[in-house]
Amino acid sequence: MRRYVQSPGSVGEFSQLPLWQRAATLDLVYVGYGLLVVALVLASYLLGALGWLPHDPQAMNVGLINAAPFTPGHLLGTDFLGRDLQARLILGIQAYFLPGLLAVTISVVAGSVLGILAGYRGGWFDTIITYFDNLLDSFPRLVLILLVIASFKPDIYYVMVVVGITGMPVIANLIAGKIAFLRQKSFIEAAHALGLPARTVILKHILWLNCRALLVIQATLGMAEAILVETSLSYLGFGVQEPTPSWGNMVQAGANYFLQGNFWPSTAPALAILATILGFQLLGDGLNNLLEGKRRK
Amino acid sequence: MKFSAILPVARVLRRELAVTALLLLGVSVVVFAVLYLAPGDPLNVLLEGQSPRSIAAGAREALGVPQTWYGRYGAWLAKVLQGNFGNSIRTGLPVLPELARVGVNTLVLTLGSLLFTLMIAVPIAVHAAVNGDTAGNTAATVAAYVVSAVPVFWFGYIVVYVFINKLGMFPLLSGTATKQPHAWLYFLVPIFVLGTASGTLAELIRHLREELSRVLAEDYIRTARAKGAPVWRHAFKEGFLIPVTEIMSAKIPFLLGGAVIVEQVFNWPGMGRMAWQAAQDRDFPVIMGIALVAAAFVRFGSLLQRVVFTAVNPRASRE
Repeated sequence: MRRYVQSPGSVGEFSQLPLWQRAATLDLVYVGYGLLVVALVLASYLLGALGWLPHDPQAMNVGLINAAPFTPGHLLGTDFLGRDLQARLILGIQAYFLPGLLAVTISVVAGSVLGILAGYRGGWFDTIITYFDNLLDSFPRLVLILLVIASFKPDIYYVMVVVGITGMPVIANLIAGKIAFLRQKSFIEAAHALGLPARTVILKHILWLNCRALLVIQATLGMAEAILVETSLSYLGFGVQEPTPSWGNMVQAGANYFLQGNFWPSTAPALAILATILGFQLLGDGLNNLLEGKRRK
Repeated sequence: MKFSAILPVARVLRRELAVTALLLLGVSVVVFAVLYLAPGDPLNVLLEGQSPRSIAAGAREALGVPQTWYGRYGAWLAKVLQGNFGNSIRTGLPVLPELARVGVNTLVLTLGSLLFTLMIAVPIAVHAAVNGDTAGNTAATVAAYVVSAVPVFWFGYIVVYVFINKLGMFPLLSGTATKQPHAWLYFLVPIFVLGTASGTLAELIRHLREELSRVLAEDYIRTARAKGAPVWRHAFKEGFLIPVTEIMSAKIPFLLGGAVIVEQVFNWPGMGRMAWQAAQDRDFPVIMGIALVAAAFVRFGSLLQRVVFTAVNPRASRE
């Protein structure tokens, strides 16, 4: 495993220009789109949680099945039972939002702890964590999840614990690399020389002041991963079950009408998945270029 | 290859083989741990759930089931190492021969899609690295992002629809495929879908582009250019071979995961479909076997990558 250690920054690192003037336009577009998606997901989650939906998501209208978008009364059309797609799309966010947050929290918290141990203590910890990393990388994630599903039960929170654990080594590695880089700098040495406890140096000087961008970026990318896993599992029939909507099982249910030429009931949730995952990924990568300085104008 | 280059490779190979063995041992521990922690002891079924501890222990003794977890792990591992993965609960057939039968299909699917990804990604990435940020390159990079976020399961339906309804071809039931003309084309569709929409494409383009443009900016390339030597021959190893093999080996697990979905969409008789069926039936000898085989496959890919890496970069053997 090659560990990426940052090289000391170029002059641009200390530029006094505000961030948006230093950044490449493309990265700003990425981040802008990503933030828009996050805002939409958050708002839709709240709408779904509070039950403020444009329609009853379970109300069937057999006279109006597989309706196209912009049908009067149904902005995004209806599905194969005549249920309002817009309401179901909004409600579908419930299926991954909290579980995704759980997965992200697990990987960020546990990943940071492991990363600090590897970077700060080094030696044995480093070896063990590299081993652990390679070990988790050996399993196709979906196969590991199916193993857990077969052994325990198809519960999304079990699945998300697996997603969280498998997401941990990446973060641990990044944090360890960051610490290896920071330790060359004099302010860490100064903090030690001043007699600050290791706790303060780690929590404040390393994690909070230098790693928060990295953690936010990894959390965004982790959320994209969690959404992908949840929708895939619901598609495969192991996640949320009908009639409760999830974007995955909506694609699956609509697919039966696909070959008859009724694209929309399956395509609408698929586009929602596409737009959302893309948003989280672009936000993560854009922020990475912006804050961690991988690309400069 | 010169003889001097083989020696470090052999040394690294030995070390990497040891690491691989250690990792596979870890893999077996993880799989066993999941099975061990799973609720539902077969013995409870046998004793109809009304057994006090002492009777259960006695029954275990009589059946020859080790009492301790490490005893059970040892017994299990010994069987697995002999190639005895147990019998499928659903079909009653031994797991390993079944896996070998369908595993070939999955191998074709994943390696084929990897090849396909390479054919698409390499020209784009190389072009982008050589020419820098042009409008076309930016568009290609953004397009790669979008394509990699497309849900595989939906993209599969689109492709099926286009091929059946618009082009009037492709028998999309695996059983009938062999009897039709152009049957071999049938194999290409799932490969195309997995290769396009699994996220490997974008990652490969990004990584190869970054690494290649980094290498092309190095001093030794400038020197090569200045003295009129072919730049390609100098940049190939570090700027092309290493990043490509790195991403390929890193993406094998993702492709195997993607294969679960693609095989489901296309009725492709492979390990992924088997995994789905096994999870559906809670047939854990099968899913356990699949996890072990998949992990072995991943480790083998990574071993291959290390060998290539050391062969082109003998310094790595002294790390």
